[in-house]
Amino acid sequence: MVRALVIFLTQLLLWVILAQANHSLAPLHVYLFGGGLFVAFAALRLPLRDGYGAVLLGGMLFDATTPVRFGTHTLLFAVAFAVIFNMRDRLPREETIVRVMVALLANLGLFLVLSFLRIGDAPAPAAAWGRLFFDLLCSQAVIALIGPWFFALQDRTLALARTEPVTLD
Amino acid sequence: MPPKRFDQARPFVVLGLVLAGWLVVPVVLKTFLRASFFEFQAPLTLSASYARDLQEYWSLRLHTNDELIQAGRDLGRLTASYEDKVQENASLRDEIARLEAQLRLPSFGEFRAEPARVVRRDFSGWWQQIVIRKGANFGIPVGAPVIFAGGVVGRVLEVHAYTAVVELISDPNVRLAGVVEGDDRPVSFQGGNNPTFGPAQGVIEFVPLDIYASATAPKTLLTSGLGGVFPPGLVIGQITQVEPGADGLFKTGEVRLDPRLSSLNEVTVLVPVNPE
Repeated sequence: MVRALVIFLTQLLLWVILAQANHSLAPLHVYLFGGGLFVAFAALRLPLRDGYGAVLLGGMLFDATTPVRFGTHTLLFAVAFAVIFNMRDRLPREETIVRVMVALLANLGLFLVLSFLRIGDAPAPAAAWGRLFFDLLCSQAVIALIGPWFFALQDRTLALARTEPVTLD
Repeated sequence: MPPKRFDQARPFVVLGLVLAGWLVVPVVLKTFLRASFFEFQAPLTLSASYARDLQEYWSLRLHTNDELIQAGRDLGRLTASYEDKVQENASLRDEIARLEAQLRLPSFGEFRAEPARVVRRDFSGWWQQIVIRKGANFGIPVGAPVIFAGGVVGRVLEVHAYTAVVELISDPNVRLAGVVEGDDRPVSFQGGNNPTFGPAQGVIEFVPLDIYASATAPKTLLTSGLGGVFPPGLVIGQITQVEPGADGLFKTGEVRLDPRLSSLNEVTVLVPVNPE
């Protein structure tokens, strides 16, 4: 489980960066969601147990700081992890571009599911979608931009902690 | 070696186990986990907030002496004006107390004002909340009203050791009773949609039919004091539109909230002095 903790530390760093970015973007009413980045590397690179561990820890971090039922992000991340893990042998997953694409797709799925879960609270749901789509667009752009850096960071952190998986299996 | 078919299903089997495990985990443990994860990240958020303050301090240090002298003069004028207001406020309070005693009216709840810095703003299309730099260490209670110079900010949703989470009035989950300025009939306010690049908006329901407002002639929506959370008379926002509802008995409308809500740096928590 050391790998899971190492990856969780990188997730924590990303969470802090996103939180600061959202703090600064708040006056513009723009919000960045980076859930896909919390799942992609763990699902593509880590063994099953470590991957699940990292993803569940990351999900609980999201849950603790947002006004959703505790476990919402955790379980959504776990589902995304299971789907990606199941497909990973069919993907050239050592390629950064593939990792970024997987993160983008995972983020899209997570964002839409969360939106459907929360949209019922809005007094005018149809009007809320405009804002949500703009947030999604910005989030995807940010993931495409910082994804390669974040995956390299996770690779390096695993290597530094001497917990890098020997093979990609 | 397990058969290939099981190997492929393994992530989903584990997912099923995780789901089943999550369902049977006691609520106490989930609450404990939530609090632990929040407190775990809190020092990072607080550090970032202090770093921002330091940044602001150094940027202020770059001002010239002339600018500082000018700012000092402006501040002096403002202080003199506030001193007048304090005296006026004290005499009005005495007057209210005298009238309450004469008419045997129940007095309004007393609050202690607790100013707090905003540590983190979290304004998504799903929720609207801020984290402030005071929590249980300053006796902040859950449900306490939070205000700023422009009126109502929201109410305290969670209290942690050194921080507290405030749910903003622009959050779709917030509902409170308000009154139109100059009228005493209550209307229902709900936080609403928060468009990109625009001010936050809310909606009002159960507006009496004889209330009119438009974007060119807006009306102010104030807290009613009903519900016991917010004291009466605090500004919620400006009613910019009302139109007859589907039932024909009441009107519904839109409320434009203060645009400063999305860039708050400092708020005031009203802590009840004698909570019932």
